[in-house]
Amino acid sequence: MPRTFLDIFGNPLLALGAGIGGVMTVLSLNTLFCIWFERKVSAWIQRRMGPMEVGFHGTLQTVADMIKLLGKQLITPRGVDKPLYHLAPLMVFAPVVAAASLLPFSKTVVLTNINIGLVLIFMFGGFAVIGIFMAGWGSNNKYALLGAMRSIAQNISYEIPLILSALPIVLLISAKGPMYEIEGEMIAINGMNLAHITAVQADTGVWFVLLQPVAMLIFFIAILAETNRAPFDIPEAESELVAGFHTEYSGMRFGLFFFAEYSNMLIGSMLATVLFFGGWDGPILPGPVWFFLKAYLLIFAMMWIRWTFPRLRFDQLMTFCWGALIPLSIVNLLVTAFLIKVL
Amino acid sequence: MSYFTTIAGGLKSLVTGLGITARQMRRKPVTLTYPHVKPELSEAYRSLISLVQFEELETHDCIACMQCVKICPSFCIEIDGGRVEGIKRMRASKFEVDFALCSMCGLCIDVCPTDTLEYTKLYDEAGYEREWVYDLLDPFRDFEDEFVERQRVSDAREAAEKAAKRAAAAEAKAATEKEPEVDP
Repeated sequence: MPRTFLDIFGNPLLALGAGIGGVMTVLSLNTLFCIWFERKVSAWIQRRMGPMEVGFHGTLQTVADMIKLLGKQLITPRGVDKPLYHLAPLMVFAPVVAAASLLPFSKTVVLTNINIGLVLIFMFGGFAVIGIFMAGWGSNNKYALLGAMRSIAQNISYEIPLILSALPIVLLISAKGPMYEIEGEMIAINGMNLAHITAVQADTGVWFVLLQPVAMLIFFIAILAETNRAPFDIPEAESELVAGFHTEYSGMRFGLFFFAEYSNMLIGSMLATVLFFGGWDGPILPGPVWFFLKAYLLIFAMMWIRWTFPRLRFDQLMTFCWGALIPLSIVNLLVTAFLIKVL
Repeated sequence: MSYFTTIAGGLKSLVTGLGITARQMRRKPVTLTYPHVKPELSEAYRSLISLVQFEELETHDCIACMQCVKICPSFCIEIDGGRVEGIKRMRASKFEVDFALCSMCGLCIDVCPTDTLEYTKLYDEAGYEREWVYDLLDPFRDFEDEFVERQRVSDAREAAEKAAKRAAAAEAKAATEKEPEVDP
C-alpha cells in the first residue's frame, strides 16, 4: 500500500506543511493552465486562435491576468453583511484544498490514506455550497442572491446521483471480501478508500468504466453540475445574472472563486479517474503521469461539452436530475447489488 | 416506454452536437493576427479618396472643374483653382476634403471627367481631434512647378506646330487662290 506523507516525514506538522504546499502548487498551476486551456479549447471550437500574444501561444496570458487581478482594488460594497462577505471566498476555497489532499495520485506515495476518503470528498464538496450561499447572501445583491439560491438547489439535487453512482464502485470493491491480496500483501479492503479502489482496478486490470458505464456517465454529468459548469452553469448565468453569486466580488476575492471553480473541476475529474478509469494504472509511463493525463482528458471533455451545449433552463435542470439521473442511478445501484449477490 | 426513448433520443442529440464541435475543432482557424498580418482588401474597398498620379503626367490631373464639389451630398469638398500663367490646362490649387463628413459614397469618383479621383485602401485612420481635413494636393505640391514648366514647353511646342500648320495651310490656300490667275 502507498506510503503517506506522515510515514515519509514522521512529524505530523512537517507532513501537513508539505501536503498543503504540494496541493497548493498543483492547484495553482492547474488553475493557470486550465484558464489558458479553456480559452484555447473554446477558440478551437469556434475556429479562432485564442490568446496568442503573451508568451508562446499565449501560455503566460493567465499569469499576466493574475498579476492584474492582484493589483486590483478590493471593493467592499455598502450594505454587505461583512463577516459573511469576507469569509465566503475562503469558505469556498478551503474545502477544495482539503479535498485535493485525499486523492491517491501515485502507487507509492499519497498525501493521506483514509478509509473514508470517498465520503470525505463528498463532504468537502458539500461545504462549497455553504460558501456560495454566504457569498450570495452577504453581497446584498439580488443577482448574487438568485445565483446562490440556484446553486444551492442545483448542488443539493445533483449530490444525490453523484453519490448514488459512486456507490456501485463501493459495492464492487467490498464484494472482493474483507481481505484482498495486492502484490503479495494481504490488506483489509475498504470500499471507500480511494487508494484501495485504484489498487483493485490495477490488480484486476479491469477499469470500472467497463463494468459501470451507466454509473460513469451519471457521475460525469453530476460532476459537471456540481462544479457549476455549462450546460449546468445557471448559478452564474452571465446573460441573466451578471455573474451569479460572485457579482459583488473584485480583485483577488473574485480570483479565489475562480481558483475554487477550476480546482473543483480538477478534483471532480480526478475523482472520476480514481473511481472509473483506474487512477494511476497504465503502461510504460509512471503512475502520476497517467493519473494527471486521465484527469486532464476528462477536463478537456468538460470544456468540450461547455462549448457545445446551451445552458439548461432551471426546470429542465431539475427534471433531468429528479426524472432521469436519480431513477437511473438507483436502478443501476440495485442491479449491481443484485448481480454481485447472485454471481 | 417513452421515458427511455426520450433519454435515448436526448443522448443521441448530445453526441451529434459533440461531433459537430469536434469537426470544427480539427479545422484551421480563420483568425487574422491583425497587427502582424495585414488584411487583404477587395478591389471595391471604399475608403478615403485620393488623387491619382498619372504616369504620363507624373502628377494628378485635377482641372478644378468643381463637378465633385457640386455632386457631393455631404458638402465636404472644397476646391480652389483656375488658369495658370502660360499653360492651357486649368489646375487646382487647393483640394480640401473634410473626411469627418465624407460618407465614402463615391459620387465624386464617378463624376470626375479626368478620372483623377480614386479610393485609397486606408482602413485604420484614427485621430485625436474632431477636425479631419486633408488637402489631397499635399503629396503633389513638389511636382507642380515641374509639371507647369513641362506643360508650358509642350504647350508652346504645340502652339508653334499649330502655327506652322496654319501658316502652311494659309500658304496652300493662297496658292490655290492664285491659280486661276495663272491659268488663262
